[in-house]
Amino acid sequence: MFIYISTIIFAVAILLFCWSCYKRFRLLMLGKSVDRFKDFGPRLKNVIFYVFGQRCTVNHGYRFGWNHLVLFWSFMFLLIANTEFLFEGLFPDSVSFSMLPVSLYILIEIASVLALLAVCIAMLRRLAFPPSYIEARSMDAFVILGLIALLMVAFFGLHASEIAKGELEATFMPVSNFVASTLFSDVKQETLNDYIEAFWWLHAIVLLAFLNYLPYSKHMHILTGIPNVFFKSLTKVNTQIREDFKKGNVFGVGQINLFTWKDLMDSYSCTECGRCSDNCPATNTGKSLNPRLVIHDIKANLLKNGPFFDNKKAPVLPLIGKGGEGSVSEEVLWSCTTCGACMEVCPVSIEHVPKIVDMRRNLVEMNAKMPGELLTFFESMEQRSNPWGIVPSDRVKWATDITVKPFEAGKTEYLFYVGCFGAFDARSRKVSLAISKILDAGGISWGILGKDELCCGDSMRRLGNEFVFDRMTKDNIKILTDKGIKKIITQCPHCFNTLKNDYRQYGLELEVIHHTELINNLIKAGKLPLNVNGADLGNVVIHDSCYLGRYNGLYDVPREVISSVTGRAATEMDRCLEKSFCCGAGGGRMWMEEEGKRINVTRVEEALKKDPKTVCVSCPYCLTMFEDGLKSTKADDKVQVLDVAEIVSMGLK
Amino acid sequence: MLVITCVKQVPDTTQVRVDPVTGTLIRDGVPFIINPYDTHALEEGLRLKEKYGFRTVVISMGPPNTEVTLKKAIALGADEAVLLSDRAFGGADTLATSQVLSEAIKKLGEKEEVAIVICGRQTIDGDTAQVGPGIATRLGYSQLTLVDSIESVDLKAKKIRVRRKLEGRHEIVEAKLPAMIAVLKEINSLRYPTVPMRLMAEDSKATLWDNKIMGLQETTIGLKGSATQVRKIFSPQRASGEIIGEGLKDPKEVSRLLIDRLMEKHVLSL
Amino acid sequence: MEEVKKVKKPRGIAHLIPGKCIACGARCQSDCPEDAIEMNDKGEPIITAVKCIGCKRCVKICPAQALEMYFTPEEQKILDTMTDKAPEEAEVVEPGLKEYRGVWIFIEHTEGKPATVSWELLGEGAKLAKTLNVELCSVVIGENVEHLCQESFSYGASKVYLIDAPVFHHYRTETFFRGICYLVEKYKPEILLMGATGMGRDLAGAVATKLQTGLTADCTGLDIDEKGYLLQTRPAFGGNIMATIMTEKTRPQMSTVRPHVMELAKKDPSRIGAIVRESIDIREEELPTRVIEVIEDASGDQLDLAGAEIIVSGGRGMCGMENFSILQELADELGGSVGCSRAAVEAGWMPPERQVGQTGKTVRPKIYIACGISGAIQHLVGMQSSDLIIAINQDRNAPIFEVATYGIVGDVFQIVPAMTERIRELKSKKGGSPKNGSSNNGPSGKE
Repeated sequence: MFIYISTIIFAVAILLFCWSCYKRFRLLMLGKSVDRFKDFGPRLKNVIFYVFGQRCTVNHGYRFGWNHLVLFWSFMFLLIANTEFLFEGLFPDSVSFSMLPVSLYILIEIASVLALLAVCIAMLRRLAFPPSYIEARSMDAFVILGLIALLMVAFFGLHASEIAKGELEATFMPVSNFVASTLFSDVKQETLNDYIEAFWWLHAIVLLAFLNYLPYSKHMHILTGIPNVFFKSLTKVNTQIREDFKKGNVFGVGQINLFTWKDLMDSYSCTECGRCSDNCPATNTGKSLNPRLVIHDIKANLLKNGPFFDNKKAPVLPLIGKGGEGSVSEEVLWSCTTCGACMEVCPVSIEHVPKIVDMRRNLVEMNAKMPGELLTFFESMEQRSNPWGIVPSDRVKWATDITVKPFEAGKTEYLFYVGCFGAFDARSRKVSLAISKILDAGGISWGILGKDELCCGDSMRRLGNEFVFDRMTKDNIKILTDKGIKKIITQCPHCFNTLKNDYRQYGLELEVIHHTELINNLIKAGKLPLNVNGADLGNVVIHDSCYLGRYNGLYDVPREVISSVTGRAATEMDRCLEKSFCCGAGGGRMWMEEEGKRINVTRVEEALKKDPKTVCVSCPYCLTMFEDGLKSTKADDKVQVLDVAEIVSMGLK
Repeated sequence: MLVITCVKQVPDTTQVRVDPVTGTLIRDGVPFIINPYDTHALEEGLRLKEKYGFRTVVISMGPPNTEVTLKKAIALGADEAVLLSDRAFGGADTLATSQVLSEAIKKLGEKEEVAIVICGRQTIDGDTAQVGPGIATRLGYSQLTLVDSIESVDLKAKKIRVRRKLEGRHEIVEAKLPAMIAVLKEINSLRYPTVPMRLMAEDSKATLWDNKIMGLQETTIGLKGSATQVRKIFSPQRASGEIIGEGLKDPKEVSRLLIDRLMEKHVLSL
Repeated sequence: MEEVKKVKKPRGIAHLIPGKCIACGARCQSDCPEDAIEMNDKGEPIITAVKCIGCKRCVKICPAQALEMYFTPEEQKILDTMTDKAPEEAEVVEPGLKEYRGVWIFIEHTEGKPATVSWELLGEGAKLAKTLNVELCSVVIGENVEHLCQESFSYGASKVYLIDAPVFHHYRTETFFRGICYLVEKYKPEILLMGATGMGRDLAGAVATKLQTGLTADCTGLDIDEKGYLLQTRPAFGGNIMATIMTEKTRPQMSTVRPHVMELAKKDPSRIGAIVRESIDIREEELPTRVIEVIEDASGDQLDLAGAEIIVSGGRGMCGMENFSILQELADELGGSVGCSRAAVEAGWMPPERQVGQTGKTVRPKIYIACGISGAIQHLVGMQSSDLIIAINQDRNAPIFEVATYGIVGDVFQIVPAMTERIRELKSKKGGSPKNGSSNNGPSGKE
């Protein structure tokens, strides 16, 4: 009887688990197709690196990440033991624990102890040092932790009673042996039989419960985390996918089934660790955007609407709506600066920004819904190819007092792509002059497009106006190819990223170099006659541009330049490099009004803690935001903001 | 019932620069746009369509490349666009322009009753604000200029009630339909075309009416039908970038210099 | 035509002088008898040389003098040898124009309160009438408006045409336009001027269309040429150029004239003149429009920025919410409105609807006074097409000075109150209230 009951219970529980997984999988298949299968090798490497190495989990100064690493590896060993246990339950006569090599026992024992410890630490942490958000202390978390702990207790109980009864060889099971000798030494043989049975059933029930609870909890990442890392983008997520502007197509994502299956898998994989929100400039300044909740809402929407799509019915919950669980509000979508901090710290490689942009696309392209300020911005970009709608002939005004040659194919090596800020904005025009001075001093052959230069379209793309971006890109590519341009120097990291990464999707392969990179190369090659003297710059604090750093990995370049010019390393802010805090202007936020606590002021206050005389930036957006922020905090008389190029040009002999 | 919106394609005069040496206009790179006031007229037409079920027709007199502008109107939701283009229409002043436009409105009215004609307050290149009244007078429609709100339209009683913005006051006026309404920018905020509408508009075509179709007497249209002639054009004298009271310390003295200068130039009179 | 001569006089070919075309609207193309001109996408003419017969019509019609006749060197040689000049075609004066005599000024008023621009027009009209040696007359239409006749005389009119009836209580296009057309058709003035105000422009457009005569809007200069025609000068093309316009073949010659520009006539209450009373049969029930309600803007109300003629704007340099009161005082004296930059909104000193700039309102007032505004690009794009910009800032290098017509380098907190004071001082000298030309209220004539 006993045999049959266990077989039936195990079989039913396992089938139920498979059914749950299958249902989840079907919902996943509602998503659009996307090719994430190519390049098996690099993908496997990612899995080893990010999953088995737990790289993202322990990085970025998250101390409790180590706890997860311990738990993860314990689970790897316990997976073996528990798989064996399941088989034993299904086929009691033919499978037994003793079939595993004895040397594994010790590892499983150690893993179990570590797991138990890790679970206790995790519980303690949630009680004593909780993360910033309340959901970390949810029932969900304690149920799972409790189940794991219980599983371990049952594991030791079972083995200890078996050892005490003499059914199990204790050599490789020191912990169980210890439990047996301390707790069960006086227990009678018959009672031990009851103990064995009781612990076995406890272990069985907890394991089966755990298994069936997984697909419905945030611990689904145990199942999807690994594939999610396997299918992660092999390049930095610094661009968005193109859209095909054919009549009858739907643009952007306004319904859950318009996401790709990978987007949906992302939502399954979220561990709700909250690191994305910890680092999000919007969340940190009290905006309604919280990247963790965006991902959660996508999952909730999928679970709610999925069955309706499955039956070819209309969805019941709008994806973009008034907010509330399962619905993302418009305000949330417009709050994103696309700085990418969320993606940088996500341990399961969720790609937040493209989803937000996809939903913005739906708002702009299908519904023409956007903050009022963007209407004039969009019109200016479309008609005049610059954010302010200024007449293109003014693009050469910055160079009124110097001689600048137009780019000539065959004669000129580099195109200096000045950018809209560099050409029109009074402050950034000074940076353009500094760059041109350095280029001349370094003997670079360069020219400009002058009034023919167009905006790269970065903000349009991030704001979800892909239709106009597509047109602007095609116009731009025509000019760049017609003029025979091969190498481009950009002043703005946004131009840099767009020309380099976005335009590649259109088949344009250019050598694009940001001015800091070129300057660094010139300095290294000894081509710039510099006076190393940082005295008048005082304490130089460096601020990373998101589109240079996180988007393109250029962290060292501006630092190297600063130390070459000032003779000492730049002062770092508390949040720097990968975890650098955005200035607040990216993702088209530059052209919108900001409510509440301002991102740039927050960042300026952070910089002021380091008592700088100079804040060094390498992006016209950051430059504007810092100057504004310094004025708001009334620190503009003590602290100056300079572009890397300006610092170098001041140091030129 | 029709709502007809009159639009004009204009050079964006806010972008025009004057060569400081030769005094000539630098028009290079200055785009042609829908006259900004007319965009609000178009928007109001679309709102009336949505609210009262009118059919919205956009008409424009101009060179053939005005079609681009009209397609934009279609992308925003206009049902039909009519382009009035003929070399005989060229060189028209406001009198000759209102002749062609009002005849076109009459022609549209032959097939379907016209309820409301909407114009922008004025154009940014001519700044006359005369074409709207011209159309109303020629057609005998109620004339309502400086409208900043359409309060209601009563299709049964054929009446419209609008708010006009005057200096220091507003006026609620009721008028019989058909009416010509010249709108201010404050009347509404603009919409943005959706991509599906844009794609649809790309394949659409404006109906072209030349003078063969219109059949208007040549002495009433274009240059020949214009009552005004431009004698000459010259660049205005502009005091640009002058620092007043450079070096002067006394704020009273500087202020006096500035105010006196403004009075002298007739910019300010007290 | 001159077949007697052996050598034909070369006629040349019209050609465009690069850079001079202003894209006036294809006057040349329209006037070409041979269809030899096509317009390009920029609105400039492309002349097909083989079709050109050298009639010079396009050259004459071009308002910008952008077209000229081109002769080959050989032709030029022949031309040089031909000294005799063909007689210029004699101007044909339209018959009937001489019947029209006198300069008329439409006296604008709101239920009896005159608009100041009317008295400015009487001042200017007097000069024109003197040159032409004709009468200067006023047209007064309304209900109970006879007092405006005497006021017209005191500002220089020698005759007033008066229509006084209850149907004219409120201004309505239909009634006023019929009244004026009736008077014009009966008494035939050669010049009719109105203020380029909301009412004047509404009325003039209708009147000119009905009378099928020329109308020039928003003139800033008027003069009489040697033939006695009215030369009307006005800004065109967004104020980038000035155009002198005339009405040659029809009468009356009509203009609306920009307020503030013409000098106010000297008032002399002792002057008298003749009142011509007229009446016209308009019945209320046959009128298509009815004024239901008049809502006076409360005097404390802020003027809407978009419509304000004068804007006094403050930025970060104002240092605090309380300091905006000095801007308000200046704006009040000027009859203007207070605006601000993004920084002032961000700091919470001003509400967002007062913001000028990229993400705020785009304004085009006659005068824009930027106080303590550095001139970030986001602000500049919202105000740089203002007719006149005055910048007050401590930083000589602030970008705002690049777009300013007049700049003052100095302390806003000293300069602005000093300006207000100066204006008050001038006003008290004159004893009048501020003149906001487009404002109907404020009977500035009463001392």
